Amino acid sequence: MTYVVTENCIKCKYMDCVEVCPVDCFYEGENMLVIHPDECIDCGVCEPECPAEAILPDTAPGLAKWLKLNAEFAEVWPNIVAKGEPPADAETFDGQPDKFEKYFSPNPGHGDGAANQVKAEETAI
Amino acid sequence: MDAHRQASFESGPACCASCAADQPAPLDRVTEPAIGLLVDRFYAKVRNDPELGPIFDRAIADWNLHLATMRDFWSSIMLTSGRYHGNPVAAHRKLEGITPQLFERWLALFAETCGELFDDSLAATFMDKARRIATSLQLALFYRPEHDRPRSAQ
Repeated sequence: MTYVVTENCIKCKYMDCVEVCPVDCFYEGENMLVIHPDECIDCGVCEPECPAEAILPDTAPGLAKWLKLNAEFAEVWPNIVAKGEPPADAETFDGQPDKFEKYFSPNPGHGDGAANQVKAEETAI
Repeated sequence: MDAHRQASFESGPACCASCAADQPAPLDRVTEPAIGLLVDRFYAKVRNDPELGPIFDRAIADWNLHLATMRDFWSSIMLTSGRYHGNPVAAHRKLEGITPQLFERWLALFAETCGELFDDSLAATFMDKARRIATSLQLALFYRPEHDRPRSAQ
């Protein structure tokens, strides 16, 4: 079981979720984040933090497409553990329909390389 | 909190006859001290447990450090403090002898500890999180997709 980032993250990317995630399982694309399903421990801390209400448990109906997308891009996008600056026009896109078809980018975001180093060294519980 | 109450919270249900008649009221909200009490008492049970004790003692080199880490973990889970950052899946993968039955034992001791310290509502809140996390870790550790396939398809 895992939580899943869904459509309304696209071009909003507020990133409040990454600050509270205890297991650093968010990965950053150019205009959205995803959760690595094999790293998420299903604690649910991120869900209420998302201003765009884009994070849902995978037990919610109709999420197969998003679960697949999260799993696929978590393998190729960089890890992100510190909140960056959200897009200046994030609010404009919050709640817009068909964001995936119109705006989704498969390109990676910047992530945070320094934090990745810490993560690699911090495997002890 | 007087000395008897403190001792009762820290060492077990009752430290003397006087305390047995004067149990501290169950805690009804999440605070850092509540998390500290839970972690300390729970891991004292774990270390004394014939099933879990040896597994943990092999894995934990510094118990003070581990208890501090676990306080940070539960603080991050219950109070969204963001203090814990780690990889519990990787940490559990390194454990030798870990089984689904040990997760059940872990949960039983955690429920027992929550029941001793918290009111029903708060205990249920902690247990909901603990069960979800335990299920998630077990999926990561033990789940094999091929076991989902019907025998005829293999």
